[in-house]
Amino acid sequence: CSEYQKVLKEDDIKAKYVMADSLYNQGKKQGKKGKLKKSLRLLDQIVPQYRGKPQGERLAYIYADTYYQLGSYFDSGYQFERFTKAYPRSEKAEEAYYKGAESYYEVSPRYSLDQTETHKAIDKFQQYISRYPDGEYIGEANELVGDLRDKLDKKQYEIAKQYHHTEDYKAAIAAFNNFIEDNPGSKYIEKAYFYKLDAAYTLAINSYRQLVPARLKEAKEYYGDYFKYYPDGEFSTRAGEISTDIENRLQNINNSNS
Amino acid sequence: QEDIPIANGKEYTIADIKVTGSSNYSENTVITFTGLRVGEKIYIPGDRMSNVIKKLWDLGLFSDINFYIDKVEGNDVYLELEIQEVPELRNVKINGLKKKKHREEILKKNKLKAGTKVTENLIATTRANIKEKYTSEGYLNTDVKIVTREVKDTADVQQSNSKVDMIVNVEKGDKVKIKSVNISGNEVFSDWKIRRQMKTKRKNFLRFWKRSKFIDEQYEKDKDKIVKKYKSQGYRDARIVSDSIIRLDEDDIAINLKIEEGNKYYFGNISFLGNSVYSDEQLKQVLGIQKGDVYNGVLLKKKIADTERPDGDDLTNLYQNNGYLFSQINPVETRVYNDTIDFEIRIVEGKEAYFDNVVVKGNDKTNDHVIYRNLRTRPGQKYSKEDVVRTVRELGQLGFFDAEQLSPEFKNVNPNDGTLDLEYNVVESGASQIELQGGYGGGGFVGTLGLSFNNFSLKGIFDKDAYKPLPMGDGQTLSLRAQAASYYQTYSLSFSEPWLGGKKPIRLTTSFSHTIQYYYDFYNRDKNSNRSFLITGGSIGLAKRLTIPDDYFTLSTALSFQHFNLKNYNVGLFNFPDGYSNNFAITVGLSRDNTFTNPIYPMGGSKFSITAKFTPPYSLWNGIDYGNLKNKPEYQDENGNPDLAKIDQQKFNWLEYYKIKFNGDWYNNLFDKFVLRTNVEYGFLGAYNNDRGIPPFERFYLGGDGLGGYSLDGRETVRLRGYPNQSLTPIDRNYTATTRGATRNDGATIYNKYSLELRYPITLKPSASIFALTFAEGGASYDGFRDFNPFELNRSAGFGVRIFMPAFGLLGIDFGYGFDPIPGTNSGPNGWETHFIIGQQF
Repeated sequence: CSEYQKVLKEDDIKAKYVMADSLYNQGKKQGKKGKLKKSLRLLDQIVPQYRGKPQGERLAYIYADTYYQLGSYFDSGYQFERFTKAYPRSEKAEEAYYKGAESYYEVSPRYSLDQTETHKAIDKFQQYISRYPDGEYIGEANELVGDLRDKLDKKQYEIAKQYHHTEDYKAAIAAFNNFIEDNPGSKYIEKAYFYKLDAAYTLAINSYRQLVPARLKEAKEYYGDYFKYYPDGEFSTRAGEISTDIENRLQNINNSNS
Repeated sequence: QEDIPIANGKEYTIADIKVTGSSNYSENTVITFTGLRVGEKIYIPGDRMSNVIKKLWDLGLFSDINFYIDKVEGNDVYLELEIQEVPELRNVKINGLKKKKHREEILKKNKLKAGTKVTENLIATTRANIKEKYTSEGYLNTDVKIVTREVKDTADVQQSNSKVDMIVNVEKGDKVKIKSVNISGNEVFSDWKIRRQMKTKRKNFLRFWKRSKFIDEQYEKDKDKIVKKYKSQGYRDARIVSDSIIRLDEDDIAINLKIEEGNKYYFGNISFLGNSVYSDEQLKQVLGIQKGDVYNGVLLKKKIADTERPDGDDLTNLYQNNGYLFSQINPVETRVYNDTIDFEIRIVEGKEAYFDNVVVKGNDKTNDHVIYRNLRTRPGQKYSKEDVVRTVRELGQLGFFDAEQLSPEFKNVNPNDGTLDLEYNVVESGASQIELQGGYGGGGFVGTLGLSFNNFSLKGIFDKDAYKPLPMGDGQTLSLRAQAASYYQTYSLSFSEPWLGGKKPIRLTTSFSHTIQYYYDFYNRDKNSNRSFLITGGSIGLAKRLTIPDDYFTLSTALSFQHFNLKNYNVGLFNFPDGYSNNFAITVGLSRDNTFTNPIYPMGGSKFSITAKFTPPYSLWNGIDYGNLKNKPEYQDENGNPDLAKIDQQKFNWLEYYKIKFNGDWYNNLFDKFVLRTNVEYGFLGAYNNDRGIPPFERFYLGGDGLGGYSLDGRETVRLRGYPNQSLTPIDRNYTATTRGATRNDGATIYNKYSLELRYPITLKPSASIFALTFAEGGASYDGFRDFNPFELNRSAGFGVRIFMPAFGLLGIDFGYGFDPIPGTNSGPNGWETHFIIGQQF
């Protein structure tokens, strides 16, 4: 029976505390997950018992950090959150705020799934940033928030793009309009402007005859929007072609009417 | 947590904190709870201070918390924190309940555990909970008393008043029975008719196993129902003038109901006001009430807004399904004269509403594109309640989400702009199934491993992060199955993508399978590797949802190919031991499915399919006279007799047949959650060239559980309960078996089957759906149209149960009684059969 097993089974919480602490320190320094896992088993037992006692602060921190080091970010996010709530004045508070937010960042799933965690992560980073505007991790925090925002943008953009892809052009136009309104600074904005134009144009030329002129004019407006912001954009050639075609068609309609 | 002074708060430095009062905790611990520190600067009174108090309260450990300022020296403050700790529960004793189960239930429900903090609130709610529980069971005289008793812990003198024992005295008394229900004032309806509306029943020796107890809530509902009954028959003014409950003795009560019926009324003129979108005529048609009809308040309400059916044919839905989210419809009585009531239906149409943002939440496995492509409500579209209801139904049918928990939610509803956002909340449910079997059969161990992933992502297989535990979320299906025994192995793989290319719902299905069977030598109990039978095949198919005649239709086409190769192996299908056969066929199917909502347990709708499977008619152009083969020298042996092996090889080198099937299912919700399923099936297998004949493949086998087991010949097994598996071969087979050389095993070319099944769900939880069923069915199979008689059936009836668990798929057991003998025998009724059902056949 090893020393560890003995401590684990007996009731001496002091011994557990000492061993958990040293396993944590060794594990973290040497990057050994085995030691961290052992430490975690001890911590599971003693953290509730030390709650409210002077050692509780340090224990709560290493408990959260062990989860963090082990990569179980669901738990570390929650434990760091508890830590910052219980000990807002701790000297580890800044680190805990940041690591807590980072944990949620790690948990945030790919853009095409539910983004509850992403919103939560952004909130947490926001808290960190407003609390420690000159903080140690401020650069990273801003960068990671940028990543998360980008993910949300991509989600909304891809949904609108899917309406375009499935040829539901009316829904695509409405969805791109919402996207442009909600995320003016997004990196997908140019695409959104272009595909909105493309959707309006394709819808117009496939419409009943009496609807064509009005819809072409709408598409023409969208071309104006695109051209105003992206005269030399990625899609400007294709947009130009569409614009020329719209003009030709409108011309023909006018000619045949007169 | 910035500290902000309240009113004229002043900043102090904490010099000392003292803890007084009763507490189990050390002074240090309590101070740590507060988060305050000596030396800290703090406003008094201030935000931080009140937060500290709130924090302490939230712990739920103290029944009293007070901060005092002991003294102030300059800017230094000496604080005193007085706390009163809530006592902890040690023991609970429950008197008056005999059964341990009941006592434990109370402990569990009220969370009475050693260590629980005993607050006044806990005592009060516990008392109320117990009383309510027994009152609802008919013990109206239940009395509950709770006392707590302080415990002086002898072992630990330091502990003050921190522990209590709780003593709960429950006096249930006897169940209160309803001795009589006396109804007065009723002339139109008899006492009996009124009592029938009520669920609160009087005691009756015939009802000894049903309740005659009194439940307040039920009683209130019953009174409502009586009034409703009157209202539906023209008695607009009917009401219950008085009702009293009289206690006859300790255990018996009597109910006296006095009804005032009032006069019978009729509908007068009905006019509409405020309608601009629909004409009076259109609205009248939906309303369906004529002048002179007997007044029916219930019907009128239902025709304006049917609260029981969200898709009802009523005025509200007429507006709600066409964009008028904000419409309001109110019937107003404008004139009452004699027995006639004039109505004005006042309509506020409001602005047409359009969906703005439409979002899906809760999908933590399934990718957005899989869900959004199924939405019928899109940004910019006109609001329609019907579309919302149908979207919810169709999301449920995907099988990726818990159908019972799907909920649409309207957000940011803006009557001025006429816009609303829509949020669909989904809850993922497990969609993968595993089949793992092992057992003895056919002379050795047979092992089966089957995996079916119903929400697979092919794209994700090269992304290591996607393995959680498998790439999921693109709505594709991947099934793998391997079965191995000592003398045969079979492997199959299939993959399907419901939206090929992502543009339109075109389903691509591909499959591949390979089987190898060795000759099994029963003497040596070993396989003979030199004698084998091989089947290799594959198929590819496309199915497309149609928009005409409506979008419940699906058109599908598939190509399939199978190659059979025999090496010195007699299978009974062919008259040759060495040779090959190919089965290349095209299948075209048209189906319609509008069943809803739960695919496991459809509550309504119907399902039809008609399929035609056919091979190219080779004999039309290959110029072989199959009828004359036996006369040709190359198909004869040395003695000039026809060589059956050679003839069969020529006949079956490429199989030639066509097969037509029809399958129809209707689901009707009869009442409550009872659903009747009506099923009709027909199948026909024919040959283009009668000399070449119908091949021994692809035939129909009727009877039993209908589970397709291991077979070589592409047979189709059809379920018919109450008879042994595949036992119902055509009736005259036995008489001609010797002359035709046909075995009982070669199946039928025509079959028909009719089935009625009444189902009732026991539970429809996502973890396990269970329903019970009872059925009556009949079917028969024939060798040709000459024998076909759709009414000469093998009949059966029985009952069974189905359990669906996401991880295992569908499991079931049916007991069926066959009323007719098995064809070709004179055994009388076949009697009871037990069938086990495994897999996705409903």
